[in-house]
Amino acid sequence: MPQAVANIEQLDEHLMEVVRALHSAVRQGVSHKDNSKVVDTAIKDCKEMLDEVMKGNVKEWLN
Amino acid sequence: MFTDKIEAKDFDKMDPEYKELLGHVLAIQADCEIGGPHLYVETMLPAAPTKLDQLIIARTAAEEIDHFRKVARVAGDIGVDVSFVLSQPNEKRFVDTFRGLITTWEDNAVFGFLIDRVGRYQLEEFYDCSYLPLQRILPDIVTEELGHIEYGYNKTLELIQSGDEGKARTQKAVDYWYVRALDMFGRSASIKSERYRYWGLKRRSNDQARQDYINEVGPILTQMGLTVPDPNKGRRYM
Repeated sequence: MPQAVANIEQLDEHLMEVVRALHSAVRQGVSHKDNSKVVDTAIKDCKEMLDEVMKGNVKEWLN
Repeated sequence: MFTDKIEAKDFDKMDPEYKELLGHVLAIQADCEIGGPHLYVETMLPAAPTKLDQLIIARTAAEEIDHFRKVARVAGDIGVDVSFVLSQPNEKRFVDTFRGLITTWEDNAVFGFLIDRVGRYQLEEFYDCSYLPLQRILPDIVTEELGHIEYGYNKTLELIQSGDEGKARTQKAVDYWYVRALDMFGRSASIKSERYRYWGLKRRSNDQARQDYINEVGPILTQMGLTVPDPNKGRRYM
């Protein structure tokens, strides 16, 4: 077997968690689309999570 | 032509050229997956016309992050670290199309309609490819990309139907993204492209894939009431 990249499993798990949380927030917003407070919170949560991913600070995520 | 099918356990035994090409194409694919959200999350998530569109942008970005994750895992398992593309500035993306920012709604719509479609073409190149772990992640990724293309198409159509001004802005966005889409297929005379085909890592030549794209997109643009841009104008990679 080839030598896998160190931390690849942790990175995989971290991103999987983030993706799950994002989908959960989106679902929450879509299913309460007539409740602007819930929708606004969902959008805000998504933006915060996505901003973290966009920063790409892998070392910080895996610490 | 190489016709075997390879698992991760066989990778170390492979020809150095195969290893280099597979690592390279996985790094490019990972970069393109994460490159999309880097173009629109910062600018378009807050600026989308409705809250539902904001949520759909977030969902699209989540799916692209998941595509990155899957490609990074396939690469990581053979010792190719692609995590550097997560923090790479847009100007350093492998593919020109992902260098910059999307700042208008029509660009965001047309990006989904035209550029995610190129993404689908790129992924289709790996159908039945020689590296089985890559082949296995394709179905779910392609299904989600089809959703992004459909959303982009629907939003593009809405803009066209919003009136003359909306249609003119959309045509301008199509003129901008269409040439970039065609350039994404690479040079027609690429020797590397031939080597990918030799090793069973891609199916079509760059030129053939580009021509298939032109043949698919042209009639759709015409049906939408838009002008198909000159496929040779403004191109960087012929």
